[in-house]
Amino acid sequence: MTAANPTETAAGSVPEATDRNVSTGPAARARLLSGVPPTLLIGVAAAVVLAVMPLLLDEFRLGLLTRYLCYAIVAVGIAVAWGRGGMLTLGHGVFFGLGAYAMAAHMTLAAAPDGALPEFMVWNGIGSLPLLWQPFRSLAFTLAAVVVLPGAVAALLGWAVFRRRVRGAYFAILNQALAAAFAILLIGQQHLTGGSSGLTNLPVLAGVDLSTGAARTGLYFAVAGFLLAVWAAYTRLMDSRYGSLLVAVRDSEERVRFLGYDPTWVKASAYTLSAVAAGVAGALFVPATGIITPALVGVIPSIQLVLMAALGGRHSLTGAAIGAVALGTAETAFSESFAGGWLYLQGALFVAVIALAPRGLAGFAESLASRLPSVRRSR
Amino acid sequence: MNALLTVSGLTVSFGSFTALDGVDLAVEERELRFLIGPNGAGKTTLIDVVTGRTRPTSGTVRFDGADTTGLAEHRTVRSGIGRTFQTAAVFDALTVADNVDLAASFRLAPHRLLRRRDRADVPEALERVGMADLAERKAGGLSHGQRQWLEIAMLLAQRPRLLLLDEPVAGMSAAERERTGELLEEIAQDTTVLVVEHDMEFLRRHARTVTVLHEGRVLTEGTLEEVRADERVAEVYLGRSAAEDGPEAGPTSGPAAEKETADA
Repeated sequence: MTAANPTETAAGSVPEATDRNVSTGPAARARLLSGVPPTLLIGVAAAVVLAVMPLLLDEFRLGLLTRYLCYAIVAVGIAVAWGRGGMLTLGHGVFFGLGAYAMAAHMTLAAAPDGALPEFMVWNGIGSLPLLWQPFRSLAFTLAAVVVLPGAVAALLGWAVFRRRVRGAYFAILNQALAAAFAILLIGQQHLTGGSSGLTNLPVLAGVDLSTGAARTGLYFAVAGFLLAVWAAYTRLMDSRYGSLLVAVRDSEERVRFLGYDPTWVKASAYTLSAVAAGVAGALFVPATGIITPALVGVIPSIQLVLMAALGGRHSLTGAAIGAVALGTAETAFSESFAGGWLYLQGALFVAVIALAPRGLAGFAESLASRLPSVRRSR
Repeated sequence: MNALLTVSGLTVSFGSFTALDGVDLAVEERELRFLIGPNGAGKTTLIDVVTGRTRPTSGTVRFDGADTTGLAEHRTVRSGIGRTFQTAAVFDALTVADNVDLAASFRLAPHRLLRRRDRADVPEALERVGMADLAERKAGGLSHGQRQWLEIAMLLAQRPRLLLLDEPVAGMSAAERERTGELLEEIAQDTTVLVVEHDMEFLRRHARTVTVLHEGRVLTEGTLEEVRADERVAEVYLGRSAAEDGPEAGPTSGPAAEKETADA
C-alpha cells in the first residue's frame, strides 16, 4: 500500500485528479485510483460521520449507536474469517463473551467496596474471592486478557480443527456447539459468573463514573475509535499478500498446499484475528451497556452477528460494519412499533439476503460503482 | 547414475483396487520425460504420490537424495517439486499477478507476507508465458489456455527442480498447443520435467524419453521410436490411439476435456 499522507491526499490531489479524470478519461482515472487508496476515502468519510453523530443524536440514541458499533467491530472480524477466509464462524459470541466477561469481572471488583466480595458471590455463599477472579483486580491484566483470552482460545481451536482439515458445515456446527456450551457453562457456574442474570451493576471504569453524559460520549468516541482502528488494520492486512493468501485458501485449500503453504496456520491466524476483534468489542460493550449475560453471548447472538456481516456483505469489511449498524437500527426501529415481531422479520431478512443478494449491501454498492465508469466513458 | 527422482516398488491400493502395482521409475536431472498409458493406468496417481497428495501402500519416493515418501503436500513443494493439475487450478478471485506473486512467495518469512506484492520475478514469470499484459486481470476471466499458462507461470516463479505436468495441453486449441510446446521445451532446458500427456501429436514433437504405464505397472520405457515399436504398447495404447490419431484427434479430445474442467 502506498504510504499516502492523509492531509495531502484528502485536501490536494483528490479534486485535481477528479478534474483531470473528467477531461482526459481512463488514463487519468487510473492515476486517481493509484493516487488515493479508496479505503482512505472511506476511512475519512466514516470518521467524519462518526464524529458528528453526538451532535445529532440524543443520549439514548447515542447509547444505542455505541452498542451497534461494538457489534460492527465483531462484524469486521467475521468478514475476515468468513468473507475472506471462508470459515463460517457461527460461534463468535464466545469470543465476544470472553472479552466481555473479563471486563465485567474487573468492573464488578472495581465497583465493590474495598476488599468486599461482589454481591452475587455473597448470595451464592462464597466466602472469599475465587482464584479465577483474583487477577482481574488489575486493569492492566484485564486489558491484556481481553485480547489474549479470545485470541488464545481461537488459535488453539483453529489449529486443532484446521490441521484435521475440518471445514465447511462441520466447522460451522462445531462453532455453534461451542457457543451453546459456553452459554450453558456460564449459566451453570453461577458462583463464578452470576448465572443467567450475568454481571450487572458496573458503574465505574478506571475510576471514571460512567453514568455522566460526558462519560457516555467519551465511551462512544472510544468505541468509534476502536472500530476505525480495527477496520483500518484489518483492511490493510487484507490488502497484503496475506490477504490474497487467505482468499486463495478459501477458494482452493488444496491448491494452496501445492504452492508450498500450509493452510492450517493461514486459517488459524485469520480465525484468531477475528476472535480478537470480537473480544475487544465485548470488552467495550460492557462499559457501554453496563451489563453482560449469557443471553448476550450464546447461540442466537452468534447467529445475529453473522447475519450482520451477511447483510452488509461478508466479503467487504466496510460492508460488514455498516451491516451491523443497519441491522441494529432496524431492530430498534421495528421493535419500537411492533414488539415481538422482530425475530420473524430478522429471519425473513436473512433468507432474503442469502437468496437475493448473497453479496449484501456492499455487493449492491459495488455493482452500482462498476456501472459508473462505463457511464463516464460514454460521455 | 544419479537420478533426481527415484520411485521404487511403489504400490497404491484403494480398497480392492490397485492403482499402482510395484512401479519403479527413475528420472534424471534435466530430463524431459513423458508418462503415457491408457485411462486408469495410474499416471495421475503416480504424480499424486510423488507430491504427497496420496500416501502409498508400500514403496518409496526419493527426491534429490532424500526420502520424501508420505511427506505433506506443502513440504514436497518446499523440497522443490511443482505440479499442475488436469484442470488448471488458479485462484479466480485474484489477479493474474497476485496468483504468480503468491506462488513466488512461498518461501518468504511470515512477516514479509504482510507486505503488498513487490517482486521483480512476477513480471518476469508472466513475460515468459507471454501474459505480461494480463497482469491486472482477474484470473477468473481467463481462457482455458491462459489459465494453463498462468499455472505454468506460477510454477516457474517457484523455481522447482522437478516439474510434474498433468495433461498440460488437454482441451487446448492447436495454436495453444503450439505455444505450450515451445514453453515446455524452454522450461526443460533448466528444469527436470515429467509430463503426463495423451496427445500423440504433442508426444511426437516433444517427447525424448517415454515411460508407458499400464494397469499400474511400467510396461516399457525408452525413446518414442523404441516405445512405438513395442508390440505390447501398440496393443494397450498406441495401437488404439494411432487409429484415432488423425486430424480428428484434437477436436474430439478438446470438448471432452473442457467438459471435465467445467464439471470440476
